Amino acid sequence: MSTITVGVLGAGRIGRLHTDNLLRMPDVRVKTVADPYVDFADWPPDGIATSAEPEFVLSDDEIDAVLICSPTPTHAPLTEAAAAAGKHVFCEKPIDLDPGRIRRTLDAVDRAGVKLQVGFNRRFDPTFARVRQAVVAGDVGEVHIVKITSRDPQAPPVSYVRSSGGIFLDMTIHDFDMVRFLTGLEVVEVFAMGAVLIDPAIGDAGDVDTAITTVTMAGGALAVIENSRQAVYGYDQRVEVFGSSGSAEAGNETPNRVAVSSAAGVRTDNPLYFFLERYQASFVAELEAFFTCIRDDREPLVSGRDGLMSVLVGKAAARSMAESRPVRVEQP
Amino acid sequence: MHTEILVRAIPEARVKAVASPHLDRSWTRCLGIPVAATDSATVLGDPEIEAVVIATPSDRHCELIERAAAAGKHVFCEKPLAFEAGPIEAAHRAVLEAGVVLQVGFNRRSDPSLVDLVGAVRAGLVGDVQTIRITNRDPKAPPIDFVKRSGGLFFDFVIHDLDTARFLSGSEIVEVYAAGGVLIDDAIGEAGDIDTAVVSLRLANGALTIIDASRQAVYGYDQRFEVLGSAGSVAVDNLRPSARVVSTSGGVVGCTPYGGFVDRYRDAFIAELRAFVAAVAGDGAVVAGADDALAAVRAAAAARSSLAERRPVRVEAPTVTGAKGTSS
Repeated sequence: MSTITVGVLGAGRIGRLHTDNLLRMPDVRVKTVADPYVDFADWPPDGIATSAEPEFVLSDDEIDAVLICSPTPTHAPLTEAAAAAGKHVFCEKPIDLDPGRIRRTLDAVDRAGVKLQVGFNRRFDPTFARVRQAVVAGDVGEVHIVKITSRDPQAPPVSYVRSSGGIFLDMTIHDFDMVRFLTGLEVVEVFAMGAVLIDPAIGDAGDVDTAITTVTMAGGALAVIENSRQAVYGYDQRVEVFGSSGSAEAGNETPNRVAVSSAAGVRTDNPLYFFLERYQASFVAELEAFFTCIRDDREPLVSGRDGLMSVLVGKAAARSMAESRPVRVEQP
Repeated sequence: MHTEILVRAIPEARVKAVASPHLDRSWTRCLGIPVAATDSATVLGDPEIEAVVIATPSDRHCELIERAAAAGKHVFCEKPLAFEAGPIEAAHRAVLEAGVVLQVGFNRRSDPSLVDLVGAVRAGLVGDVQTIRITNRDPKAPPIDFVKRSGGLFFDFVIHDLDTARFLSGSEIVEVYAAGGVLIDDAIGEAGDIDTAVVSLRLANGALTIIDASRQAVYGYDQRFEVLGSAGSVAVDNLRPSARVVSTSGGVVGCTPYGGFVDRYRDAFIAELRAFVAAVAGDGAVVAGADDALAAVRAAAAARSSLAERRPVRVEAPTVTGAKGTSS
């Protein structure tokens, strides 16, 4: 397969981002973008067909792979339909909020024998990939403590919060996957403490905006995840893996390396503002890896099982906070 | 260490006597200390002595505080005062009745970087406090003999972090959840303790705190602090003995953090004793008092219960009222 022909389902923010990235990739052709709610007046560029019907993409024999970038409730049915049509699937996270539904989808993918990669883009971030490499190389020894700081620059609108599935399934889910990625270990238990400290409307919507989650890994290693929906100084994304031989730590990315020193202090620019800026490289790298897996017939780095596990951990965290007790994570 | 600081760095104080069952007399002679005793009675019975520094094993702290207070002496006592609230409350009453000053050795409250951090928080630079992060890792796991009489990781080690959470937030700990395990040395587990822990706190002002503690970070004494609030964050990174950075084809190598608390908190140990000496002279308040010791021990007990019972534990509200020790 020299050129891979791709269809994109969903033309929202992330669908457009992926499509624009695909256009710069050699040996990849974006044939069609489908979205029932977009009029395609000013996007996509010429040469890409558009449709309101996903079926238009799924029934196109020329299309080898689809990117599912539509709203979360459509992820599982579209993944199943695409797999049944023999198309490889790249699906944004989460596959679904219901683990049973995810399992059925994964079974359908297995039966069809197509590739499925889930959009945990942070695994492809060069900085975090380097931390993982240090862990694999044995630089930190046996892992004892993982620390993840994940703070958004601005609290989302309450309408978004209501349909997000809650902070643990919307935001911390990335961090749960990161813990599993960095350590190569499975999560066995979580305890989550949350609070509404930023916007009371988030509390009224039944969610929290500040949370700390303690994660126990198989073998006894611990992880702490700290989330905030609003750090006014920018997108705060740091990880650290500490172990018997040392630690590997990744700080924030800033747009430049300049420090301005004056009598008032030493000033550097704030972290890159949000995920589009901070994880730009990872969005390209995850798709390149997906196409490489298709070409070389290898398993994707982020599997359907990874997609399922992150939801199982997120569910356990939400339950832990609701019931104020540590909760064992259901294994897949 | 305290003795040498008093002799060398605090001219307002004169060290008259040192008492210890295993005293090195050449050391006291070298420091010019006139009296070297093997029992505490020699010190407590000396009418010329105004104040004592208690740096014995923790299980003797409260008894010595009570005896010192009864002898009319001001007391500086190392942490933890005890492993439960009762003896601390009794010691606190004895101190109040005697009208003497009691300062507890929560040295971090006197660390210039942390004092500066608290100043920034109190000045409102980060707005309302939302999340506090504390990393506390020792460079090397202690000998098992020490572990056995230490009171356990929470009482011996994390107690500093529990106090620091109160110090940085200016609020009280109301709920504790502790996860932990033996990941460094099996002998620590056989002694009934753990060597690695992650402790979550909920504070009375609503803020959350996360503490990660390890008995052994091979790269040095890892002490980092961060307060996130509605208007930003303020952090204190590790201090290092040298600022040198070596860049070669093999990479860029900086100096590891200080190798232990004596070096990292040198300035804090001096400052806390200066504050104590000043408080004895009637010039200012103590840096940390019995209330602070009690709050930290209650939180440590909650952490121990949480770990054992695998559930979050509410912290008992303080029952003692009296001279407020907190100066922050």
